[in-house]
Amino acid sequence: MTSISKAERSYIQAGLLANPPRRANGRALHDFRSISLETGVAPLSNGSARLSIGQNPHEGSGGTEIMASVKLEVESIEEDGGRIACSVSCSPSAYPHLSSGALDDLQHDLTAVLHQTLSHPSLHPKNLGIIPQKKSWLLNLDFLVMADAGNIYDALFMAARAALWDTKVPRTRSVEYKSPKTFSSASGDMDVDQDTASGFDTRKVSHAVDFEVPDYWDEGEVLEGRERWPVAVTLNLVPTIHFLDATSQEEASCSSRLLLVYSYESPSSPTVQSMRMLGSGELTIPQLKDLVKEAQKYTKDMVTALTAKLVEEDLCRNQKARDKFVKRK
Amino acid sequence: MFEFTSFRHPPDNYSIKNAPDDVDMDEDDDDFLETGGLKLTCPGESLTSAQAYMRGHGTYVDKEEVIASVCGLVERVNKLITVRAVRTRYNPEVGDLVVGRITEEMESRWNSRQDAVLMLSSVNLPGGVQRRKLESDELQMRTFFEEGDLLVAEVQAFFGDGTMSLHTRSLSYGKLRNGQLVTVPPILVRRLKSHFISLPCEVDLILGLNGYIWVSKHVKENEREGEEGFDAEAVYSNRNDHIDDSTRTAISRVTNLITILAAHSIPLTDTVLLEAYEWSLEQEGDVKDLLQEDLGDALVATILAKGA
Repeated sequence: MTSISKAERSYIQAGLLANPPRRANGRALHDFRSISLETGVAPLSNGSARLSIGQNPHEGSGGTEIMASVKLEVESIEEDGGRIACSVSCSPSAYPHLSSGALDDLQHDLTAVLHQTLSHPSLHPKNLGIIPQKKSWLLNLDFLVMADAGNIYDALFMAARAALWDTKVPRTRSVEYKSPKTFSSASGDMDVDQDTASGFDTRKVSHAVDFEVPDYWDEGEVLEGRERWPVAVTLNLVPTIHFLDATSQEEASCSSRLLLVYSYESPSSPTVQSMRMLGSGELTIPQLKDLVKEAQKYTKDMVTALTAKLVEEDLCRNQKARDKFVKRK
Repeated sequence: MFEFTSFRHPPDNYSIKNAPDDVDMDEDDDDFLETGGLKLTCPGESLTSAQAYMRGHGTYVDKEEVIASVCGLVERVNKLITVRAVRTRYNPEVGDLVVGRITEEMESRWNSRQDAVLMLSSVNLPGGVQRRKLESDELQMRTFFEEGDLLVAEVQAFFGDGTMSLHTRSLSYGKLRNGQLVTVPPILVRRLKSHFISLPCEVDLILGLNGYIWVSKHVKENEREGEEGFDAEAVYSNRNDHIDDSTRTAISRVTNLITILAAHSIPLTDTVLLEAYEWSLEQEGDVKDLLQEDLGDALVATILAKGA
């Protein structure tokens, strides 16, 4: 995507294939740049996260930076259980060399991968329904790519996991109308049909027509099964080796990439949620098998580290909110 | 392998002076205009009335008001209001050395980033000596430079519309190979006696005034291409020489040092870079460890102490 000269490309490739391998800033092949993460950054959303990979620790420039936010919306829909809709938008300043048409294409590509993976029924949280067959939550998960310095997919999936982890669904109580008992007037000269439930009716139709929200706007319960949200790892392939967390220059100099998305419901039972081969190139089946195994190892480490960070964020979240409240003027 | 950190937040005592408080507004305005106190501004913010003050750089006048057009510090000299931008673009001057990337191939010229033009007539053509360009040269322009290629050139002149024209008509200019690029804010590269720096660790540096810095393997004086006669093959080659491991490590080290210095807004000169390199050799640990914050801070402290 980034333009790169032939000499640079061969310099990077030769460095990766050298023994020992050398990368631009001295990282090992399977090292990630440092990742900064913060949740609860957008006060008006139900859950949000800001994530950046490889930014300069001193002044915070030069990294891949993503904002992700979850907004819940009530939707009248026949289906049960709610929906998830993802969308990715890229800031033009993240891709100054792309025309607006090319930017749209890129957004569409990223959206497709994220949406197809995250809205799959196997990951669907169970508490998005409100009133069966009438109303449910539509979970809008929106991403904004503020800067891209490579490894955008891993960053997007991590941001998604963080924002969904942070999401609180407001508790709801359904409201039902009951017609008041009709007076059976003493003078009863008319025989009114009594509206009584038939004992043979076993359909258990819910008569709820509306709902109320007992919580305040920032309260609620977390999404069910939030440990399930997947993480992705992109294996950048230069024949005979693969490396992680490529910078844009490195991405431009390797022909193909393999994106693998894993979900860990429990640490011992990973499932592959998505797999994409990006770019041109070929892989043999045995190679692919090895890569899948390797990727599982990486994602396991990643998910452990990320979950630890998210739990820590959860704990200091209330403290942060309090600080902000005190500081406001 | 995975390291998660939090974002840095501005310190608690950090505040921007001009809070949008209706009552204080006028006082604040007077404050910065009278005492020369610091004031940060954003594009589109009204600074003062145009009747009493004159507009300078970084401002424009709309409806009798001086309005900031860049983000930065407001400065006042007598009745002149200027805004000094936080980040500036490179402002080219004739004779400057720049490192650029070819973005577009056009008839008899190449375009590069920030709209500079390299005319076919201002590169070294095969066959040595100064000669007129031919139609055949025009047809094989891609064998000289392609899209994406990096080159070092000198600003030759400006066209009527303000775009700059470059030239590579010297053997020290031309296509770049055997190394990697690192970019810094252009303001950190000052005009020096020489922008070609050789560090004793077998690393050459080219400091482009536009903020592009090329870090590459050292090429000995007598091994430079085109010393005897002009070898177009070698000058426009896309092939890298063999680079051994220690050189590669040194290149990475220098790249990381430049990134750290740039993050701390320290202007880059040959002495600073040399000191930084020597300091980093004394430290234990790998090249990648340099990017950790505490090491970076320690480096900057040492450099500043020596400079003072």
